[in-house]
Order: sequence, then C-alpha cells, then structure tokens
Amino acid sequence: MIEIKNVSKSYPNGVEALFDINIHIGKEEFVFIVGPSGAGKTTLMKMLYREELPNSGTVIVDRINVTELLPEQVPYLRRAIGVVFQDYKLLPRRTVYENVAFALQVTGAARSQIRRHTMQALELVNMLKRASSFPEELSGGEKQRVCIARAIVNNPTLLLADEPTGNLDPTTSWEIMELLDKINRRNTTVLVATHNKSIVDSMKRRVVQLEGGRIMRDQQLGGYSQV
Amino acid sequence: MRIFGDLEFFVVEAFRGVRRSGVMSLVAIGIVTVSLFIFGLFLLFMVNLGNMVSEMGSRLDIVAYVEKAVTPDEAAAITEKLSHITGVEKVRYVSREEAWRSFRDDFTQKLDLATIVGENPLPDSFAIKVRTPDILPRVAEAVAQYPEVDEVRYSGKLIKQIQTLLDALRLGGAVLVVLLFFATLLIVVNTIRLTVLARETDIYIMKLVGATRSFIRWPFVIEGILIGVLGGLLGILILKPSYDAVTNRLQVGLPFLPLMTDKFTLNVIYLMVGLSGMLLGMLGGYISVSRLLKEK
Repeated sequence: MIEIKNVSKSYPNGVEALFDINIHIGKEEFVFIVGPSGAGKTTLMKMLYREELPNSGTVIVDRINVTELLPEQVPYLRRAIGVVFQDYKLLPRRTVYENVAFALQVTGAARSQIRRHTMQALELVNMLKRASSFPEELSGGEKQRVCIARAIVNNPTLLLADEPTGNLDPTTSWEIMELLDKINRRNTTVLVATHNKSIVDSMKRRVVQLEGGRIMRDQQLGGYSQV
Repeated sequence: MRIFGDLEFFVVEAFRGVRRSGVMSLVAIGIVTVSLFIFGLFLLFMVNLGNMVSEMGSRLDIVAYVEKAVTPDEAAAITEKLSHITGVEKVRYVSREEAWRSFRDDFTQKLDLATIVGENPLPDSFAIKVRTPDILPRVAEAVAQYPEVDEVRYSGKLIKQIQTLLDALRLGGAVLVVLLFFATLLIVVNTIRLTVLARETDIYIMKLVGATRSFIRWPFVIEGILIGVLGGLLGILILKPSYDAVTNRLQVGLPFLPLMTDKFTLNVIYLMVGLSGMLLGMLGGYISVSRLLKEK
C-alpha cells in the first residue's frame, strides 16, 4: 500500500525533517506513528498526499509513484486518500451535511451519489442526527467525527490522521480511536500520528517511532515507548 | 446532469464571493465601467478618424495634365498606359472642355468666371484614382515619369500629414488602452483576491479532497465575469447615449463632417467593449487564485 524508500526531506529554512526513511506498510494495516513534536510525523504524512515532496527518495501510495506525479494528476491521488486533522478544518459557514458533501461535490460526483454517500458516512461516524448543525454548535469530539466522515466519504483506500485526538479529552479520544479502528476493519489502511501514550499502549498495533527525522523503532504490536 | 450540478455549484459560489466583498466588488465594477468607457471612446474616435481619412482619400485623385490637347486615340493610349501602374484603380480622361464645364458649374454661383478669364485656359488631363491614400505619392511619381505628362498634382502632403497624425494617435491610443487594461486588471485581481483569502480554508480542503485545479478556479473566474460584464454593460450604457448626443449635435453644426453613424459598425464597437469587460473579469479571476493552486 505504502512504500517509502530512502526518503530525505529538508525545508528551505535548513530544518532537516526526515533523514533516509524506509517504511513498507501493507494493505489494511493500522499503524501508529509516534515521536516528540518536530520528529517529522507531519512531514511524513504530507509526503503521502503530496503536500510536500522529498528532496530524495521515492514515495509510492497504492501503486502510484507520488514523487513523479504531474501537478494535474495530484487531485486523483488525493481522492484515494482521506486526511483527518487535529484542528478539524471544517468550513464554518456550512452545515455538517454540507461539509461532508463538499468533498464529493468538488470532485464532480453526481447529485444522487453525493446524497447517498454523505448519509452513509455520517451514519458511520454516528453524526446523522446533527447533519443540519453548524460546526460551532458541535463539541470537539463531534467536530472530529465530521472531519472523519469527510475524509472517508469518497471511500479512500488510505486514511491519514494527524494528531486526531490532540484537542480531545481521554474518553472522547477513545471514541475517536475506536472509530478509526472500525474504519480500518472496513478494509481501509489507517495511519495515525499521535502523542497519546495510553491509547497506543493499549491498542497494541504496529508502531513506527520517529526521532529527529529518523526511524528509531518499527515494531509490530508495539507500545508507545520501547520496553 | 453532472455538468449542471457543477455549474450550479460554481455560480452559487461566485455570487457568494461578490456579496462577501461587497463594497470592493462595487468599486471594481465602477473602475471597469470607467476603463471600458474610455476604451470605447478611443475606439469610436479611431473609427471616425479612419472614416474621415478614407472619405478624403476617395475625394483626392491624382491629376495628370498633358501639355497639348490630345486626340481621342492618344487619350485612350495614355489611359491604358497609366492603368498599368500598380495601385491604380481607375484612370479617366478629362478633356479640357469637360474640365472647364465642371469648373464653371462649381463656381458659377459665386462669380462669373467666364467674364474674367474669357476663353478656356485649361489643358486636357487624366484623373487617376488609387486604391489607398497612402500610396498616392508613389503613384504620382510613377505618373510623372511618362513623357506625355506635363504636370502632376495631388494633395499628397496633406494626406501624408494626416496619415502620420493618425498613426501617432493610434499608437498613443494603443499604449493608453494597454496601460488601462493592466491597471483595471490589477483592481479586478485584488478584488477577487479578497474572496480568495476569505476562502483559503475552503480552497485548501478542496485541494485536499482532490478537486482539480480548474474546478477550484471556476467560481473565481465566474465572479470575475460577473464583475467584468456588469462593468461592461454600464460602460456601454454610458457610452452609447453620449456618442449619439455628440454626433447629433455635431451633425447640426458641421454637416459636412463624415461622422460614423453606421449602426452595424457602432454595434460591433459596443459588443467589443462588453466582451473586453468579460475578458478582463475572466482573466482577473483566473490570476487571483493562481498562487494558491500551485502544487509542489
């Protein structure tokens, strides 16, 4: 599903974000990416949906060579990837329904399909009853559910979540993780960058630990830190 | 069906944009109006000048005088020879009697020439029509080369001066129009950029979920078209009555002035003004969002 080979990335301001990274992630895996702030977690994720390009190395997602993609092909890569943010990035003037439908609308989907898929996505994240609310009327956990619904509404094969529980209390964080786990069980590869030690420790999934732009550990059924 | 769904999305978004940057949109429309009004004035001015010059050109022939009276055979031979000069449209033999007659007709109301001059003092001549006024000097020179021709007359200097003036005006006008175009474009771009900035998150999300660049662009291009077309229509709405009023007044005072009143030509000019507005708006919308659409 994901093949990252010898990837290095430094920003124009001189910061070395990633250094010679090699990761292979199979179809339908659930992987935690852990590490302190500035370890390169976000950069790694951005590289997958081509918001950033590596200085060297190759990135392959779902058999697409991301590093060699032409700008006009980028939208089609992104339709295969859902992204969830710590700060949700919901559009304030649109309702919950419109926020989710927006992702289909802008890819030119048919109206009947937009309605059906939006309803299904909202149902999956258990937000159907809040469909006509505006984001400001929602709690943090509810906002994150809407953000997840938007990320999965066009049925991506890969879901990326960058600190999805960063702004949430422990109980709500658990609910969100269970939701991501549920999506993973529906045959979607899921990558979660997180600081949340207790969740990583108890979920016992594959853990990739980054530090200073290098991989310190890549462990099946791992915990947040090495034992 | 899909196309219509998309179109509805674009248009709704475009109107949202115009409303969101309300006052600035009005300012932009006003500036487009003024620019296009000036552009239209320039077009009308040039068309009228061109009209005048060609009118004058059609009146101005080259006249080639011959020394002595020619026989009809000789006249035909000379006519034939002169017709072969490139740029010559028509050559007509004017006998001294005919010239005298028309001369007297022209002036008979003002003074009785026959009593002053007595008998006919005019030589035989050939009136030569050329295709365009600008080749008058060259043709005149060629005509003068013929031994039968005694003297060549044409209002070359005047035509030349008018042509030079016209060229200068055309160049100056074109420079003005280009400057005006870019200044107006800048205003339109900045107006729509207000919408673009207000919608940065929307655009980011659109890119993230895989909207194509053209899809993201359309609402802004349509917003530009709205501004441009409204400005263009207002410009025409001011331009047309102004021109009609001015030409009406001029035609009363200066009836011999060959003003352009051809409906078709005028409508083409108004159409050009409107289309320029649309183009200006489209381009403005296109440019305004470009920076945000760059992919790494």
